[in-house]
Amino acid sequence: MADERVDVESTGQNVAGQAPVEEPEAVTDDVTVHDDEVELERTIGLVGGLAIGIGTMIGAGIFVFPGLAADNAGLAATLSFVIGGLIALLVALPTSELATAMPRSGGGYYFISRSMGTAYGAVVGLGLWLGLMFASAFYLVGLGHYASAVFVELGVELPFSPVTGIGLLFGVGLTALSIGGTENTAKIQNVVVGILLVVLTGFLSYGVLDAVGVFGGGSVPEEFFSRGYFPVLTTAALVFTSYLGFAQVATVAGEIKRPGRNLPLAMVGSVVIVTVFYVVTIFVATSAFGADRLGQFGETAMVEVARDFLGLPGAVAILGAGLLATFSSANASILSASRAVYALSRDALLPRKASEVNLRYGTPHVALLAAGGPILVLVGTGRVELLAEVASFLHLIMYGLMCVALIVLRRRNPEWYSPSYRVPGYPVVPAVGALASFGLIVFMQRASIAIGVVVMAASYLWYRYYAGSVTLKGDI
Amino acid sequence: MTDRPSILVPIRVLEGESIPEGVSELLANAHVVLLGYHVIPEQTAPGQARMQFEERATDRLEAYGSLFEQAGATVERRLVFTHDGQKTIDRTIAEHDCLAVLVPNATRPVEDVLVAVRGTVGVDRLARVVAGVFGETNASVTLYHVAEDEETDEDVGTLLDGLVDRLDDLGVDAPRIETRVERDTDTLDAITDASEVFDVVVMGETDPSLATFVFGMPADQVADRFLGPVLVVQRDAASTTPEE
Repeated sequence: MADERVDVESTGQNVAGQAPVEEPEAVTDDVTVHDDEVELERTIGLVGGLAIGIGTMIGAGIFVFPGLAADNAGLAATLSFVIGGLIALLVALPTSELATAMPRSGGGYYFISRSMGTAYGAVVGLGLWLGLMFASAFYLVGLGHYASAVFVELGVELPFSPVTGIGLLFGVGLTALSIGGTENTAKIQNVVVGILLVVLTGFLSYGVLDAVGVFGGGSVPEEFFSRGYFPVLTTAALVFTSYLGFAQVATVAGEIKRPGRNLPLAMVGSVVIVTVFYVVTIFVATSAFGADRLGQFGETAMVEVARDFLGLPGAVAILGAGLLATFSSANASILSASRAVYALSRDALLPRKASEVNLRYGTPHVALLAAGGPILVLVGTGRVELLAEVASFLHLIMYGLMCVALIVLRRRNPEWYSPSYRVPGYPVVPAVGALASFGLIVFMQRASIAIGVVVMAASYLWYRYYAGSVTLKGDI
Repeated sequence: MTDRPSILVPIRVLEGESIPEGVSELLANAHVVLLGYHVIPEQTAPGQARMQFEERATDRLEAYGSLFEQAGATVERRLVFTHDGQKTIDRTIAEHDCLAVLVPNATRPVEDVLVAVRGTVGVDRLARVVAGVFGETNASVTLYHVAEDEETDEDVGTLLDGLVDRLDDLGVDAPRIETRVERDTDTLDAITDASEVFDVVVMGETDPSLATFVFGMPADQVADRFLGPVLVVQRDAASTTPEE
């Protein structure tokens, strides 16, 4: 994958008179080259890419949703997670192809703006930024639940529910940390993900053995579709937030080494890995308690499952893992949101000021504040399910459009489009991926859909007002 | 005439690092690969830093490059925004096939060069760097070797004589070359002690990457204590077999 570039002449300027930054000359395995002499180094390897994907996703599906999902769909919640995983996979494959053809920062936003034009790009890009904020807020509320559970475990009685307060506190902390911290956060993220996978593998292996009766417990047989068939789909829509991480890998596509190989492996790999973990988790959790009791435990149901299996040490281990996982997911989402702001600002869809780099810390403080600030407001609502669904809604729009973008590009087949990875089963896979993404939205709560539509409309209006004359579409 | 050896000069261009006095004259006969790099935290996309800092960095790099050109070197400039300075340096060495990397410290006009010879491996590249950089100057070259216990005087003699001949072929007249051999001493200490009276040290890398040299391997004690410029000759990336 040497020296290919997107044939884009981005033109026009925004209200402030800023034009999009010109496209790079060439993209290689190690760098993105501008003006012949300026290079942007690619430094994230396969492990780093997988850690971003898994680290973003695993916080939600395992540590927040099992109780809620079981409450909604009964044992069949397992099927909801399978459906979510399948849709994610159907999108991850086309995304991989697009990413290897255009390994640039901004991920889905970049692919769509270059193949379908600025209007779609703006809606998706602004939607991605806001969607990631909803996702971060969701993770922070989840973190709040786990931190509260720690207080309960310690026997500290608080006169109020600390969930929102703790979420806000960590929101502020994370934003401050990403602005002022220059430590090697990627290495920490890799270690955190590694620890999580080890803890979970141990815990789940025990759980599976127990569920099939090895330790004499065995599970109570229960009707699979105890809540009927429809809740399986609404639950799939709800828990889809657990699968938003793979596209975050594409957001940093410009920094991935050997993108032709590592991007597909990291995206598809992380989807497959978390799907397996999710399905096993929900199986173990429901077989331990049955869906009804599990549902009563709410966000921190996994702690009770662990206590049931392994007593207090198990509960403590899962509490710790839950804190780590939700924290890493929130952190990864804030960083991705800041990358989305950068990509938009680079293309003059947001003020150039928004991606300014802080002279003292070298970090994009405006973009990070633009991500961290609104998150606090969202955390303040404390509504886990709504936050999760709006995040999913905005991402699903992007996922669907990415599949459409792939079909558009394959049909027109412009000269610059030479992905090193090609999706198998074209055109069925991207077509089904698009239909499934848009289709899942239908099963969401009305309120979530309404908020999502408002965000999209606002994004479009912003584009018309601010950057109506900016053209980003490639030569197709 | 010898070919101009490619020498990498890495500069953290936006952090106030500049070309110290005497360095451009030192590399007057070399092909300088001038790498201006800027290390950014992971929260920042490299492209983001580029949008803001490219102009300033390019201006500085341009000016530094002119210094080398005025001194007589040929110059190739690269500006890289990176999360990982080490990877950037290693990659640039490989891509531009650099024979050596300069740890830039100030120096007076070079009269005495210390060449630390470790063994037969890579000795040809060492010779090409010494001859390429100092062949056309009047600097005197001292080949310095700390012998291992199992090495006989004969072995050492063969090694150093071979190098002297090779340098002579490449245009460094034998009379300008001295040899010094020591035994029973710690190699690093010996080199740093011996280097005190010299203007420049040329040595092989102790590790496959220069960056480890810059960022804290045993050899950088040499640079730290020596305070003058050090040319670190790179291993041949392509082959692991000893060269002839």
